[in-house]
Amino acid sequence: MPTVFSLYVANMKEFVRDRAALFWTFAFPIFFIVLFGAIFSGGGSTSYNVGLVNEDGGPVGATLANTFQHEVKPFKTTTGTYDDELSALKQGNIDLLIVLPAGLSQTVSNGHTAQVQMYLDPSKSPTDAQIQQTIVSQVLDVYNQQVIKTEPPLALATNSITSHTLSTIDYLMPGILAMSLMQLGLFATATPLVSLRQEGVLRRLGATPLPRWQLILGQVLMRLTIGMVQAALIIGISVAAFHVHIQGNYLALAGLTLLGAVTFIGMGYLIAALAKTVESASGISSAINFPMMFLSGVFFPLALLPAFLAPFVRAMPLTYLADAFRQVTTGGVPDFPMWIDIAVLGAWAVVCVALASRFFKFE
Amino acid sequence: MGDQANAIVVENLRKTYGATKAVDGVTFEVRHGEVFGMLGPNGAGKSTTIEIIEGLRVADGGSVTVLGLRQPHEAQAIKSRIGIQLQTTSLYPRLSVIEILDLFHQFYPNRKTLSTEALIQMVDLGEKKDTRSKQLSGGQKQRLSVALALVNDPDIVFLDEPTTGMDPQARRKLWDVVLDLKRQGKTILMTTHYMEEAEQICDRVAIVDHGHIIEIGSPAELVQRHFSEIAISFQAPGGAAEYQALAGVSHVSGEDGVITVYSSDAPRTMTALLERESANGAALRGLNVHSATLEDVFLKLTGRALRD
Repeated sequence: MPTVFSLYVANMKEFVRDRAALFWTFAFPIFFIVLFGAIFSGGGSTSYNVGLVNEDGGPVGATLANTFQHEVKPFKTTTGTYDDELSALKQGNIDLLIVLPAGLSQTVSNGHTAQVQMYLDPSKSPTDAQIQQTIVSQVLDVYNQQVIKTEPPLALATNSITSHTLSTIDYLMPGILAMSLMQLGLFATATPLVSLRQEGVLRRLGATPLPRWQLILGQVLMRLTIGMVQAALIIGISVAAFHVHIQGNYLALAGLTLLGAVTFIGMGYLIAALAKTVESASGISSAINFPMMFLSGVFFPLALLPAFLAPFVRAMPLTYLADAFRQVTTGGVPDFPMWIDIAVLGAWAVVCVALASRFFKFE
Repeated sequence: MGDQANAIVVENLRKTYGATKAVDGVTFEVRHGEVFGMLGPNGAGKSTTIEIIEGLRVADGGSVTVLGLRQPHEAQAIKSRIGIQLQTTSLYPRLSVIEILDLFHQFYPNRKTLSTEALIQMVDLGEKKDTRSKQLSGGQKQRLSVALALVNDPDIVFLDEPTTGMDPQARRKLWDVVLDLKRQGKTILMTTHYMEEAEQICDRVAIVDHGHIIEIGSPAELVQRHFSEIAISFQAPGGAAEYQALAGVSHVSGEDGVITVYSSDAPRTMTALLERESANGAALRGLNVHSATLEDVFLKLTGRALRD
């Protein structure tokens, strides 16, 4: 173990003295946090002009209308007819239109699922759209909860709407956190490893009696540490400078950070196994980085992406890591259940690590 | 231990890359405590051979025994008892000389290691001890890589072209290090394409070409075996034929006033020559006595110059 520790320290020194690795793991995500934090956190509270059309004459419509009008603080609600409110939405006078259709109460009392309609202004920020969608979903969840009479989890969700208004940075932060772990695996793992191999460093280490698992363990532990430091910095800056609220618990965040780091470090080793030169390693890394960055819901909600991209989006591990982080930090409505997020990430981790240990060569 | 006299035994070693037979039936032994050199041009198969012995490559055929242990089955045990300097070594580029040496100490947990200060002094890197390895010059990197080969105070030291890229002064310093290791009783197997290096520090050399060993012996033996005569040249006004009759001379040549006589018994020829010149009252000017070198041996055996 003292050998692994010495390797850990040596790898850490090598890492912190490597400017390219530092840029992708720290400077790049912090730049995004500061940029978006400065743009979006602004006054601290976000509000939306909401048009509410209540065509239902029954108790369900009345209760929901009351909730939207008086209990959801971010919503400044006006009421009117469907035609008036729709044209207000088209003219940009309101951000969101909610329609409680006729017969809503009747359908509910018959024991069927009724639909509340929501119309978004497509020209507005996609993140706003996601926030609005989340709020509306939460109101409906709370209502469902009361009708079905099950216990607490959603009391917490109600709390989050009424006590704190979610801002754009709240939504971006978890995505940027996930992205930074991906870049740890791509640019701060694959490229440096290929460079060590190409220059014969791994070969020289292989000429000593040092067991290879100790060498790998030293490298991996160092990167897991870097991943935790990245997460702490990104969350710390977001909370301290931009008043981001973390709804879930920090232990869950640490666990997800670890899982995400293992997955993407495994991917880094796999790329290093496939790439023969530093140039090809950084080429492959970039080819993975950019699509994942923009298609995994880090900057745009998945709902806004064209349907033909769905299979790719659903295959990408970053999609699930970002979704899992977002669930924990915002307490909002997830794209996938948490167990799916964890299962898909775990599967990626297992596949990457297995393939990497099969194909990774020291020379 | 099997073989008491030999540190390394190599038998009928073969390694093929595609259509190229890099090592083609190489057999030799290295005795305990000797400096053994493999001499040959680039691409002769020296590095492949030495790396198979070190356990860094696996042979296609033949057998290798190092300190009584067999490659590649006992490679781990062998690695802790040998020191390896690779032909092109790079190390963690952003770690300093001291940091790298300290790290390598940790790789030999069950062995007495030499202190980092002692190693730095041995290869004369004191002024560069805090310099990061990527900022070292080629020669300094070579010296660091020699120091790394000595960290575990090995029984056998492998040096693969250790002085390539060094200036003549650094080269001589390294020769001193090697001779010092020999005095400590260590066995050294090295490759080189410098004939002078082999002559200066190797007890025995194997001349390697196209994956074969074409000669083995001490440098003096090899020269003697192939060039029994010594050349004596000097400036003289007369014709070369005048000297044909001197004791021990087999043949003569001469051009531009410089006469060369070839002798199979240099002392007798020299004595006769000096007597003749002093009897004639002439001073012997531009005298040069030289035997053939390994370079000449190599040229004779392969028809090519060593450094091509």
